[in-house]
Amino acid sequence: MRRQLRSRRTPSFPYSYRYRLDDQDELNQNYLADEEEEAEEEARVMVVPKSEEEEEENEKEEEEEEKKEEEEGQGQPTGNAWWQKLQIMSEYLWDPERRMFLARTGLILLIYFFFYASLAAVITLCMYTLFLTISPYIPTFTERVKPPGVMIRPFAHSLNFNFNVSEPETWQHYVISLNGFLQGYNDSLQEEMNVDCPPGQYFIQDGDEDEDKKACQFKRSFLKNCSGLEDPTFGYSTGQPCILLKMNRIVGFRPELGDPVKVSCKVQRGDENDIRSIRYYPESASFDLRYYPYYGKLTHVNYTSPLVAMHFTDVVKNQAVPVQCQLKGKGIINDVINDRFVGRVIFTLNIET
Amino acid sequence: DDHKLTLEELSTKYSVNLTTGHSHQRAKEILIRDGPNTLTPPPTTPEWVKFCKQLFGGFSLLLWTGAILCFVAYGIQIYFHEEAAKDNLYLSIVLTVVVVITGCFSYYQEAKSSKIMESFKNMVPQQALVIREGEKMQINVQDVVLGDLVEIKGGDRIPADLRLISARGCKVDNSSLTGESEPQSRSTDFTHENPLETRNICFFSTNCVEGTAQGIVIATGDSTVMGRIASLTSGLEVGQTPIAAEIEHFIRLITVVAVFLGVTFFVLSLLLGYGWLEAIIFLIGIIVANVPEGLLATVTVCLTLTAKRMAKKNCLVKNLEAVETLGSTSIICSDKTGTLTQNRMIVAHMWFDETVYEVDTSEEQTGKTFANNSDTWFILAQIAGLCNRADFKPYQETLPIAKRATTGDASESALLKFIEQSYSSVAEMRKKNPKVAEIPFNSTNKYQMSIHFREDSSQTHVLMMKGAPERILEFCSTFLLHGQEYSMDDELKEDFQNAYLELGGLGERVLGFCFLNLPSSFPKGFPFNTDEINFPMDNLCFVGLISMIDPPRTTVPDAVNKCRSAGIKVIMVTGDHPITAEAIAKRVGIISENTETAQEVAARLRIPVSKVNPRDAKAIVVHGSELKDLRSEQLDQILRNHTEIVFARTSPQQKLIIVEGCQRLGAIVAVTGDGVNDSPALKKADIGIAMGISGSDVSKQAADMILLDDNFASIVTGVEEGRLIFDNLKKSIMYTLTSNIPEITPFLLFIILGIPLPLGTITILCIDLGTDMVPAISLAYESAESDIMKRRPRNPKTDKLVNDRLIGMAYGQIGMIQAVAGFFTYFVIMAENGFRPIDLLGIRLYWEDKFLNDLEDSYGQQWTYEQRKVVEFTCQTAFFVTIVLVQWADLIVSKTRRNSVFQQGMRNKILIFGILEETFLAAFLSYTPGMDVALRMYPLKISWWFCAVPYSILIFVYDEIRKLLIRQRPGGWVERETYY
Repeated sequence: MRRQLRSRRTPSFPYSYRYRLDDQDELNQNYLADEEEEAEEEARVMVVPKSEEEEEENEKEEEEEEKKEEEEGQGQPTGNAWWQKLQIMSEYLWDPERRMFLARTGLILLIYFFFYASLAAVITLCMYTLFLTISPYIPTFTERVKPPGVMIRPFAHSLNFNFNVSEPETWQHYVISLNGFLQGYNDSLQEEMNVDCPPGQYFIQDGDEDEDKKACQFKRSFLKNCSGLEDPTFGYSTGQPCILLKMNRIVGFRPELGDPVKVSCKVQRGDENDIRSIRYYPESASFDLRYYPYYGKLTHVNYTSPLVAMHFTDVVKNQAVPVQCQLKGKGIINDVINDRFVGRVIFTLNIET
Repeated sequence: DDHKLTLEELSTKYSVNLTTGHSHQRAKEILIRDGPNTLTPPPTTPEWVKFCKQLFGGFSLLLWTGAILCFVAYGIQIYFHEEAAKDNLYLSIVLTVVVVITGCFSYYQEAKSSKIMESFKNMVPQQALVIREGEKMQINVQDVVLGDLVEIKGGDRIPADLRLISARGCKVDNSSLTGESEPQSRSTDFTHENPLETRNICFFSTNCVEGTAQGIVIATGDSTVMGRIASLTSGLEVGQTPIAAEIEHFIRLITVVAVFLGVTFFVLSLLLGYGWLEAIIFLIGIIVANVPEGLLATVTVCLTLTAKRMAKKNCLVKNLEAVETLGSTSIICSDKTGTLTQNRMIVAHMWFDETVYEVDTSEEQTGKTFANNSDTWFILAQIAGLCNRADFKPYQETLPIAKRATTGDASESALLKFIEQSYSSVAEMRKKNPKVAEIPFNSTNKYQMSIHFREDSSQTHVLMMKGAPERILEFCSTFLLHGQEYSMDDELKEDFQNAYLELGGLGERVLGFCFLNLPSSFPKGFPFNTDEINFPMDNLCFVGLISMIDPPRTTVPDAVNKCRSAGIKVIMVTGDHPITAEAIAKRVGIISENTETAQEVAARLRIPVSKVNPRDAKAIVVHGSELKDLRSEQLDQILRNHTEIVFARTSPQQKLIIVEGCQRLGAIVAVTGDGVNDSPALKKADIGIAMGISGSDVSKQAADMILLDDNFASIVTGVEEGRLIFDNLKKSIMYTLTSNIPEITPFLLFIILGIPLPLGTITILCIDLGTDMVPAISLAYESAESDIMKRRPRNPKTDKLVNDRLIGMAYGQIGMIQAVAGFFTYFVIMAENGFRPIDLLGIRLYWEDKFLNDLEDSYGQQWTYEQRKVVEFTCQTAFFVTIVLVQWADLIVSKTRRNSVFQQGMRNKILIFGILEETFLAAFLSYTPGMDVALRMYPLKISWWFCAVPYSILIFVYDEIRKLLIRQRPGGWVERETYY
């Protein structure tokens, strides 16, 4: 079996007949034959330096192996096949005739290196042209991000607010989360960074795309009882939790003029009266028009999203109360079936005493 | 040993009365004891086993593994997260459905062809005439029992193995058993030790051609000679078909790639900090993503299409995989009778007036085949017509003479037809010269004699005789030359000898003809007595010789030639005599004109045969008896060293040995045959080809393919189709595999770069089982790039269906370009929607967080989970569409492996249809309202369709350049590393 194998192995491995094609027209084949002979001759010249002793040794070794193989082989022909494969593999790694390590692999690797290098060049070129066509200030399409989504704070990877008033560790993380979130809204910071713009109208800033834009102040103190300034526990210690609601930022989004987007919450399922009373801060329960439009992260650096705080002052205790807060206003959609965060947000309050 | 027994011994052995036969009671008992007299059909695999084979064989196994892995992955996900993505579940279901549907499809295909097989079976129950309790009765053949006294007559099929106890001019056609085309005469004499050669045995399922005989049944059913050969067949192990081996090799390659990728990324994902569980899910996901879901169906459909095409050309394929086998065939072992020859005797030559005349022996004989004005010819024709017991069967005046059915022995029928065609109506001749006495031919006297009234004067008689030429010459003292009688001389005898040798050397059966005008001392009404001869039977006048042959089919020489130029060795293996075999071999080109056998070389050089250099004799005729003494190495020597080989007088076992010998040399062997004697070889061969018209049921059962027109030339078409489908499957697999890379890479980058998944399971399935299907199948209709019948058969060891170069091209090059195209589209859409590529890196965890509904993009906009998922699915749709568009280029590129598309042309209409179909399907999936809910595919902006175009062009140009280099620099490294 090994003999066959060796006979198949032609003198110059990569230039072997193995790659001879099967469907050449005759003309080609003749041509090919000539070339191959030449190649073979070249290869022979390369092989010459190999000492004959070594070859003999190899021969002997191989013969011995062959004998062994024959002895073993008859018992287990499958083992033989594996042995053969091993042989082929090792030849692949080390070609004894050309005395080259990874002779074929090296060539292939070279080819592929160039191939992938050029491919990388192509994709780089394409990406470059892509960036030429895309403005860094304004997204090309915004229809997928519209209508705006709604998100609440504190955010704790869950929309169920379960806590026990008398056990601070059950609500402490809400307080920390809210405090952290409101750091950017500190009055001092807002006054320092942002401008106080007139309410009730858009804060439109004409000018070049790449010009830095000013942002309107949204002070933490706007949130009154839910600002955490007076009650550092945001009402959680008394079972009157504050939940902040914000509308997702969308570049260029403007609510309908004169009709700011309002927030309204109610029990989603069950008794309407489970909530009993909600206080909104700011009291209008709306996002003032002056916070719109948003000009994008790059130029509108200090933009602060307006918030509406809901203060659930008298919600039913010891019972899960599902609450749905919706945005209301012209051009606002709040009833998309498969997206429960567009224009609305649903969460559950379960306050134990 | 029944043939050696005397009748008395026979009678006691089977305890049967040789005149009255068994009693009904006894017959019934034996029937119950031995069972019916039928061949046990080979253990047909039960239908459900066949179905399971389709369901779990070869390629399906890969898909099953994929399905199970997916299911396991889903199970893991379910177990550890209650809310798992259903993708893996869907995938495993889809994989299962695909396997089952494809399995059903190929099962249905094979069931259909086996139904055609069924229709071949002779459903009319055969009848046998037996004598029981002294009464003759017709019973069904399967009720014949051991020891039954059976009567047979011309035209009957022998109901069981018979030892004859009386015979009158009985001849049997043993061709289905031994391959001899000449009928053998049968008598009650024990003539040979070998039961197959002795005269007093008739064999089950051979035919009685003429005469009558009575015999005792000595074997029934499976214990008959025929039954034993048939059971030899069913005991044979059948090897794997070449295409099955190729697919196995392919699966191995795919598995290696899949496992390699899977394990690599398993380790990588662990290093990247994913959990064990996630890493295992990834591992399974990657392995499964490597499974080309649609390929099984594509391959099956391609093979089916070819099988249908072949069926149209009279090659019915029983086993789908055999479609390709013929294409890889390197040796065809052909039976002679009926395959290479027309299986009918026909007059080929005549010798009279010291000249050899040739007769047209082609299949479509029209008009007169021979015309001559010599008086000798008229007399010869009269003798041939009158001294002849054959006759046309009635009611076939409308048929051409050559096609009419006749009664009687083949050579007599040949004479009858010949005379009818080239001289005059035999019936009229016989009416004018009524027969008054006759001695029929038998093997001892070797002649046939009849006495007729003379045409001119109805008062005198003429004695006509035909028979073995040397016997005829013994009777003669004069000879006829141009109508004149001359007395016999040595010169004529030498001429005769030469002519006889020449015609005999052509493998033809030679008959001599002579006549004698009886003197008027034998007037009308003379009581001629043929038992005690009372008329002169010497000093006859020799007229001439007529020789007959079973001529080769007209298309065969051309077909043999084509086989040879296609690098296929055609070996004749026949049960017939060496001389006949050699003659036919020469006429059809199996032994070509300028090659010689050792004997011929010896004759030319005037040296003994033993001294001939075996290298000079490329051709060889091996006799069965020589073959018996050969060791297998010697047989290998013969098969290797001689290019043109004829095996004559071979037994079924020897045919098997020859086939095995060829297979030992690594050849893929096709065997053609029609007789029961061929069936073991048919079964053993890589592809057995049986004859649809003349073939026996046993041979058809053993074969993989059936030539509906019995014509050897149809095999050439089969070879061509087989080779074409091999090439086209390669292209089809190349096309299908390519899209695997743009399908896998998204998942890989999803894992290592943490980007949102650019291509989901559903879209992958849409490609594999939707858009890729028709184009991949359309490649089966691709025409050949060069003359595939001019190249050598592929070497099954090195020319693989799928090799590393194909994988390299598909995965490493074209596939990579496609993947890049897909990612480009993906990044375009993401960027245009607000997510720049840089910001996407590592976004995965946030992106997948369902509670994070204000994820910021590169512009500071905030996205809800659903909103960004819509973008993600839009990207996936676009990625899908991009793959479809780059697959256009891939399809056009895969059309050819060497030629430019501009050389090959775009004539493949199915392929164009495929391109349109996949595009429309892609558009349909993207734009149909409701698809967002059903398949989560979203409408795309028109501009996104164009992202792929540069890459399509790139693929096309790149591959055209590659092929240009291959063509321009044959043997160069481009070819070595990329030609698949």
